[in-house]
Amino acid sequence: MNMELSRRQFLKTAGAGVAGTTLGALGFGPIEEALASTIKPFRLVNTTEVRNTCTYCSVACGILIFSKGNLAKGEKADITHIEGDTDHPTNRGTLCPKGAALLDIVKSEQRLKQPMIRRAGSDKFEKISWDEALDKIAKAMKADRDANFIAKNNDGVTVNRWLTAGFLAASATTNETAFATYKVVRSTGILAFDNQARV
Amino acid sequence: MHVTREVREVIMSRTFGPSSAPPIPDPSVLEGVTAPTFAYLPDPSILFARRAARFRHLAQNNPLAPYLTFLAGLCEAQHAAIAATPAPEPVEAAQVERARANEMPPLDRSHFTTDAAFDTLFERALAEATKIEQPEAARTALERVRMASDVARGEMIRNVLASSIPEEALAEHLYVAAALEAHFARLASQLDAARLVPVGDGVCPTCGGPPVGSLIVNWPTSHGARYCACALCGTLWNYVRVRCTACGSTAGIGYQEMEGGNGAVKAETCDTCHAYSKVFYLTQDDGLDPVADDVASLALDIKQKDGPYRRAAFNPFLLGY
Repeated sequence: MNMELSRRQFLKTAGAGVAGTTLGALGFGPIEEALASTIKPFRLVNTTEVRNTCTYCSVACGILIFSKGNLAKGEKADITHIEGDTDHPTNRGTLCPKGAALLDIVKSEQRLKQPMIRRAGSDKFEKISWDEALDKIAKAMKADRDANFIAKNNDGVTVNRWLTAGFLAASATTNETAFATYKVVRSTGILAFDNQARV
Repeated sequence: MHVTREVREVIMSRTFGPSSAPPIPDPSVLEGVTAPTFAYLPDPSILFARRAARFRHLAQNNPLAPYLTFLAGLCEAQHAAIAATPAPEPVEAAQVERARANEMPPLDRSHFTTDAAFDTLFERALAEATKIEQPEAARTALERVRMASDVARGEMIRNVLASSIPEEALAEHLYVAAALEAHFARLASQLDAARLVPVGDGVCPTCGGPPVGSLIVNWPTSHGARYCACALCGTLWNYVRVRCTACGSTAGIGYQEMEGGNGAVKAETCDTCHAYSKVFYLTQDDGLDPVADDVASLALDIKQKDGPYRRAAFNPFLLGY
């Protein structure tokens, strides 16, 4: 921002083209032209570097994801490398062994990409829609909570615990999402709960 | 849990035997992951010699070899001039503190005045530059600079410090810029890096100038951090990665490299201000020099001329792109 002014002045004076370059002015114009014709058959390759958050735990370490190809330019992008983000105040570029192996989980054949269900009596998993999956989960949670909710302990003190279910929430959410998740889950009485609001 | 040094030593001695045993790995070195140091100031006694060596290295099997060799000679002239002339007076402490308090660079380009130390360095650098093998056009330009009146010389100095070079005198300004680089690197080296503060996006905290490019470093204390390199004084300052060095935007950042490249030099393109600047990955090649490799990767700039992005970097050795 601050330097745009001086750059514009410069761009006005030094136009593009071999004639208006330092190399040309010093008498190196021919090698500049030779280079330009040598590289003609080559093209530029797009790569990207994108910030993200490690998917694993509530520490929510910053990561940089590198890919070949740029989705913003209408290309397919293939993730080539993932490393810790040195600019991120939480981890300063460091990652735990799980985080350091993120590329393998991205590329893993076994990685879960949509909800799957193994129905009663079946020996294999099959695809299921998100709507159906969430309905089934809600029903199962309701049944479990109705059966196992502890309103008072042995001393008659109100405790409102639900100890037979656990809840693991995402690590890469906003403060608002983390707050809402915490309120929803805790208000059901679940104690076995983790999301990044813990940290 | 906080483990004191004493407790750690007890644990270590229990685990690995008494301390008289051979040195054992110290896990405390794994602690203390800190933020990268904000700025590194140049060491003018080695900066230009190293750059010259890099230019000579890059010149091997390179279509730009004659130019790279010429610039190696110019860097050697900078180095020789620094070695042969007395250091300039340091910037007054009051000015440094005033700049710091107001988040301004301590070296004020807009009020730069030449002094005896600069004049001596300037003359010496140009005299050294005459020894370089160079095309007739370059030699003529060098002679014009050496013969220039004080007024004309002052004008060229102001142009370089404003990063605004008139198209008809690119060659003359290259020599002036080389002398100014040597002088400002010396002035910068006399400052205290710990007393520098950020003065703006893509602006050198020492002299207020634009960067020539940025380095992704592989140094043990700040692995993977990015440092912008000042085109004039050689200061390296920490700058967030995947963020445009020209406008500070983090949206629409992409990278482009030459087909078949090893990922050591990429153009960081910005869809907000439509500028690009080069990023040098020391993790891929730890010999990279921001100035030398900027020139050696000219192919990338030639390719960008067809594209929507303009060059944001300032490098007096590579103007016109």
